[in-house]
Amino acid sequence: MGKALKRWWPLFMLPTCLAFMIGFVIPFIQGFYLSFCQFITINNAHFVGIENYVRALPDPQFSTSFFFTVAFAFLSTVLINVIALAIAQALTRKALKGTNIFRTIFFMPNLIGGIVLGYIWQILINCLLSNVGAQLIALNSAAGFWGLIILTLWQQVGYMMIIYIAGLQSIPSDYIEAAKVDGATAWQTFWKVKIPNLMPTITICLFLSITNGFKLFDQNLALTGGAPAHSTEMLALNIYNTFYSRAGIAWQGIGQAKAVIFCILVVAISMIQLKATRSKEVQQ
Amino acid sequence: MAEIVLKHVQKVYPNNESKKKGFFGKKKKTEEKKHNLKVTEDGVLAVEDFNLTVHDQEFIVLVGPSGCGKSTTMRMVAGLEDITSGDVFIDGKRVNDVAPKDRDIAMVFQSYALYPNMTVYENMAFTLELKKVPKDEIDRKVRSAAEILGITEYLDRKPKALSGGQRQRVAIGRAIVRDPKVFLMDEPLSNLDAKLRNQMRAELIKLRHEIKGTFIYVTHDQTEAMTLGDRIVVMKDGVVQQIATPQEVFNHPANIFVAGFIGVPQMNFFDAQLVRSGNGFTVKTEDMNVALAPETCAQLALNWDGGDVKEITAGVRPEQILLADKGEEGALQGTVEVTELMGSTEHVHVTAPDGQFVLIIPVVDLEAKGALKAGDPIWFKFEKNATHLFDKVSGKNLI
Amino acid sequence: MKRDKAINRALSIFFTILSLAWIYPVFMIALNSFKKATAISTTTAFDLLTPETFNGLANYVHALNEQGFASAFMYSLIITVTSVVLILVCCSMCAWYVVRVNSKISNFFYYLFVFSMVVPFQMLMFTLSNLADRIGFNTPFNICFIYLGFGAGLAVFMFAGFVKNIPLEIEEAAMIDGCNPVQVFFKIVLPIMKPTYLSVGILETMWVWNDYLLPYLTLDSTKYKTIPILIQYFRGGYGHVELGPMMACIMMVVIPIVIMYIFCQKYIIDGVVAGAVKG
Repeated sequence: MGKALKRWWPLFMLPTCLAFMIGFVIPFIQGFYLSFCQFITINNAHFVGIENYVRALPDPQFSTSFFFTVAFAFLSTVLINVIALAIAQALTRKALKGTNIFRTIFFMPNLIGGIVLGYIWQILINCLLSNVGAQLIALNSAAGFWGLIILTLWQQVGYMMIIYIAGLQSIPSDYIEAAKVDGATAWQTFWKVKIPNLMPTITICLFLSITNGFKLFDQNLALTGGAPAHSTEMLALNIYNTFYSRAGIAWQGIGQAKAVIFCILVVAISMIQLKATRSKEVQQ
Repeated sequence: MAEIVLKHVQKVYPNNESKKKGFFGKKKKTEEKKHNLKVTEDGVLAVEDFNLTVHDQEFIVLVGPSGCGKSTTMRMVAGLEDITSGDVFIDGKRVNDVAPKDRDIAMVFQSYALYPNMTVYENMAFTLELKKVPKDEIDRKVRSAAEILGITEYLDRKPKALSGGQRQRVAIGRAIVRDPKVFLMDEPLSNLDAKLRNQMRAELIKLRHEIKGTFIYVTHDQTEAMTLGDRIVVMKDGVVQQIATPQEVFNHPANIFVAGFIGVPQMNFFDAQLVRSGNGFTVKTEDMNVALAPETCAQLALNWDGGDVKEITAGVRPEQILLADKGEEGALQGTVEVTELMGSTEHVHVTAPDGQFVLIIPVVDLEAKGALKAGDPIWFKFEKNATHLFDKVSGKNLI
Repeated sequence: MKRDKAINRALSIFFTILSLAWIYPVFMIALNSFKKATAISTTTAFDLLTPETFNGLANYVHALNEQGFASAFMYSLIITVTSVVLILVCCSMCAWYVVRVNSKISNFFYYLFVFSMVVPFQMLMFTLSNLADRIGFNTPFNICFIYLGFGAGLAVFMFAGFVKNIPLEIEEAAMIDGCNPVQVFFKIVLPIMKPTYLSVGILETMWVWNDYLLPYLTLDSTKYKTIPILIQYFRGGYGHVELGPMMACIMMVVIPIVIMYIFCQKYIIDGVVAGAVKG
């Protein structure tokens, strides 16, 4: 197949690769280069070495948003996966009625876009806060953090649950029956049989929720917008604001430098996390 | 008319075949096959110096254990695999660089490779449609092929709705509608269950006389090879071991490998000495001393490289071992290990001083002598001229 | 056995309550979208509708007439449809090529595609929107090329995962039957991959339809507003936020999604699972 197909590359490869060049490769390389430049528009960029990085790292807003993001990503990943796996485990029980309806409902929020989600929850959380007499979300950074967590749970638990259900259903029933015959309790079966066989699925879900947590932008923008005083600003939003909301000649370059740091961080975390979980997988 | 000639055909798989890893560095289960293929500087030698002339309307079977290069050879004839060196001719025309579709061949795959999105009819008509054959002619050809194979009633079904045997017929039907010069069949029966396989094998023999064409057939099953082939090509580790008719391969295997590969149960092998005394030869073991027939001796003498004694491996087919009486001349004694009743015969596993033997004894004989059970002593002897002699080092048949 | 039944009953009740809580946010927005402007405030959002606060469809009419919802919907639709169709056609072809042709270049691109899936958009957002601006890919029609480029990673990767599961023998059979590679793709591979097109199509649709930042940065957002941009604009202004029409807008975004979801549920869920497992 390969040999005969090879000369058809202009038809099969070219359109996608050309668009990929424009949509990814060129901006990526250019972005990397610009992180070492001072510029307002790309045309007047001049090389300044690592100065952008030197100025980006001590930026207090950047470190605030870094710790905020790490805390958020960690907590949301743990909660999403524990809750999603628990629901998936319950919904795959035999003879439980209505599982399909529950699945449908839990998954639904995932289809709604981040901006819309953000405003739905802003209204709801503000109403809740005002009824208990607390400060509204725009002035309340604790509420902002937990609001983001709840919103993310609402959006992603259903998604991960669907994947976990598929993973649980793909475990051969022989294993579970064998465990039953060997006298394992439901609890032992879950930890000793299901979890080890579920490791590929867990890898995927952890990967997705960690990267989603780090990359979160739309929800952050719509729910809190970083308020109050940038205290609920996550890395993606911080970079965006550095680019577009700060006056002064240097900020674009610093924003780009932050973006590069952010990019390396996300790539590195995905790789480490994958390696760590992969090594625990059962070879079948 | 279709004559296929393969001249010094070789296939080398480069070592640096870059394998695409799954994302996440998923370890692809490319189980490192334990093969004995020769490794050269360029890579793994999958097929080595293959020479064969397939005559018009001949049925050639390539047989060998998995990984022996038989499928690769066929795929080079089909044009699905590049030929590293050597030439392939179909009807005198060199086809090394001819695209598969222009070689006038049809191929039946092990997995049938039916197009899942098309009905049986469309599957069979596809190749003719591509050739812009008129609609009514396509219809005629497809229906007549369906008739031959008995699949007329399934023409509107999708492959998914067919059983394994029916899919197999469709795959063959797809090959015969196009009336090719050459039929290539890559293990076409190995996905069927035993019963269906026997039935399809018989049908293939019948079919082969109905449609004129040259066949190359790949299998790892020696029964298929024996029953279908006009000639058999036995391969191992990319090297041709023997090319001959089924009888020839069975009666005069070229080497130990062929002797062991063809025939069920396997030929019995034991170590022996070949002793020369003048023009006579005897096969000697601790408790055996068999003089060989004069014709055999004459042949052995031709290639004799001196010395009086030669270490050999001797072989006897299980069906050529007879029960003997205690004290009969040339009878060997052994102990019965296991007996397996196969119906009209019984397979008897025996331990003797010279090694392990399997005997095939007709049940009638056992009834006369009384049933055997494990631990019983047993006496047996070889049929005349049944002993195969192989060089201990090279494994070559000495006769 | 009896214990199992009791657990199941308890779970049923628990999940029923949880499901109701799960849809409450949407229900609440739906209620409020029918309220009069004076009745909408942060303190009263939980209140049910009463005849005094009921405003009929006024908020919806307002959103449609004055807030440009209809045009935003059209732009979102155009961008989503053109982008997804383009992604499906180009990326499936590319994926097939990359899997079947084992050359250095195809391998190189494959790994680059995989890499691009992990890279966050913020890395490229400034340079990409700049580039799009300069070469004129900043209209609702041309932006689909940007989506093709940025979305190629996931799409090619998913298609490639499925192509690897197609037995090579089927394609070889087609070659022997007389197809050239283009015919093999369109007559054999494409029909076999139909379910995959559906899965990838759904994932890409969800992404493009809900995407905010890429169109916001690339398009001239005073002229072209997609739905997420429009909703974000409700707050962007200096005056007070018109919550009523905004909630009406949200409902008009959510309702088509929910309806589509109810009808294509099986395909959406299959698509998500396939996407994740291949990922």
